[in-house]
Amino acid sequence: MKNPVNIKGTKSGIIVALDDKMPYDELKEAIKDKFTASSSFLGQAQVAIAFEGRKLDDEQKYEIVSIISESSELNIVCITEDDPLIEKKMSQAINDTLHERDSKNGRFYKGTLRNGQVIDFETSVIVLGDVNAGAQVVSKGSIIVLGSLNGNAFAGAGGNNHAFVAALDLNPTQIRIGDMIARSPDKKSGKKKNEPQIAFCEDGNIYIEAISRESLSDIQLD
Amino acid sequence: MGEVIVVTSGKGGVGKTTTTANIGTGLAKLGKSVVLIDTDIGLRNLDVVMGLENRIVYNLVDVIEGTCRIKQALIKDKRNPNLYLLPSAQTKDKTAVSPDQMKKLADELKEEFDYIIMDCPAGIEQGFKNAIAGATRALVVTTPEMSAVRDADRIIGLLEASDMTKTELIVNRLRPDMVKKAEMLSSDDVVDVLRIDLIGVVPDDENIVISTNKGEPLVGSDTMAGKAYMNISRRIIGEDVPMLDLYGKNGVFSKLFSKFKKKD
Repeated sequence: MKNPVNIKGTKSGIIVALDDKMPYDELKEAIKDKFTASSSFLGQAQVAIAFEGRKLDDEQKYEIVSIISESSELNIVCITEDDPLIEKKMSQAINDTLHERDSKNGRFYKGTLRNGQVIDFETSVIVLGDVNAGAQVVSKGSIIVLGSLNGNAFAGAGGNNHAFVAALDLNPTQIRIGDMIARSPDKKSGKKKNEPQIAFCEDGNIYIEAISRESLSDIQLD
Repeated sequence: MGEVIVVTSGKGGVGKTTTTANIGTGLAKLGKSVVLIDTDIGLRNLDVVMGLENRIVYNLVDVIEGTCRIKQALIKDKRNPNLYLLPSAQTKDKTAVSPDQMKKLADELKEEFDYIIMDCPAGIEQGFKNAIAGATRALVVTTPEMSAVRDADRIIGLLEASDMTKTELIVNRLRPDMVKKAEMLSSDDVVDVLRIDLIGVVPDDENIVISTNKGEPLVGSDTMAGKAYMNISRRIIGEDVPMLDLYGKNGVFSKLFSKFKKKD
């Protein structure tokens, strides 16, 4: 007898081919068995999922997804439509969803960034060290430097004007946030401010303030 | 039609970048339109000496790769409106650019500016070849030390094998007091070895350190180095300027001394 449930892997997801004659309740059992059996093979990947071979309504789709989630360790990010351009759509969908999560997530970078070094993150970034003059930190989210920021910081690189840059000693050559750009003053002020500061974008300008309850409450994470 | 000049030395640390910044600024002060190009990809610092680091958005490699137009990458100087800097890239290396591409760029800039000055990296490898590609005139910088003179000699040999129409010498960081005591080569000694035209001698001057740290070239200021660089700039545009008197032979005190001596 033909297998009622087939799993096809693609680059960014899986396509589940279902038998269109089998009664729905029996099919659910078959899906459960199939995914339980393949769980170790499929692993814990983040995937998009698509169905083919059988017309399903939304309720059935969600029911099947929850069965798959329970019987395997797959992390199903989204459901895409059965389509000739399915592969393209899947990777698009997975990128969009992950990107949205990324800008709210952060990653650590430990070490001093020296002249000529560049780090480029899809996520927000927290640098545990200094960013020296001539170094550059690029992030689609925000940038926090637990040290001195003397180089260039480019936050919201995808065009997010709500991103911010903060540092224990904020003395950058240039700051860019979204599509705004600000450079350091030509005359260096003699006194060194020994306080953490934050740079953010408002009304088409980049402002720098001491980190305070007020400045933090103005931050928007979306 | 402008002139493309390369400032080179072979040896590092003899003052190519300082010379480029000061001569470029000097030419601009003399009313010429000037572009300085930092060809030291990966180890840029002409922008720091010019005090323009915080204005960099695009760089030489962006222009070569077509990421931006030349006009977008040119940074206007803080004080001189007819002086521009094309900064180098810091995150690439010398192989990001080829001599042919540099020549094309220089030819394009020549149409619009009086002088294009290339700040050459130390060494005789790809960076050097890039820097001299579009140039027809070379300023060889050396200090009065045998090691620097040896490297300058090597460089002059390489320049003679290229299309350079003029190769001139700058002796930098000369200390007249040491020359007098015969502890240092004089500019004449250096010229004796290298056998090319001397276009200027710049005395060792602590004001250079101050000016580099401030990001303000000192050419034209009332310092020995400032005067020496202004004289070189004048000679570049063809003026006949006598050599700066570094040994104080014609100063008030030596005149007095010579009078006393005559009486003896």
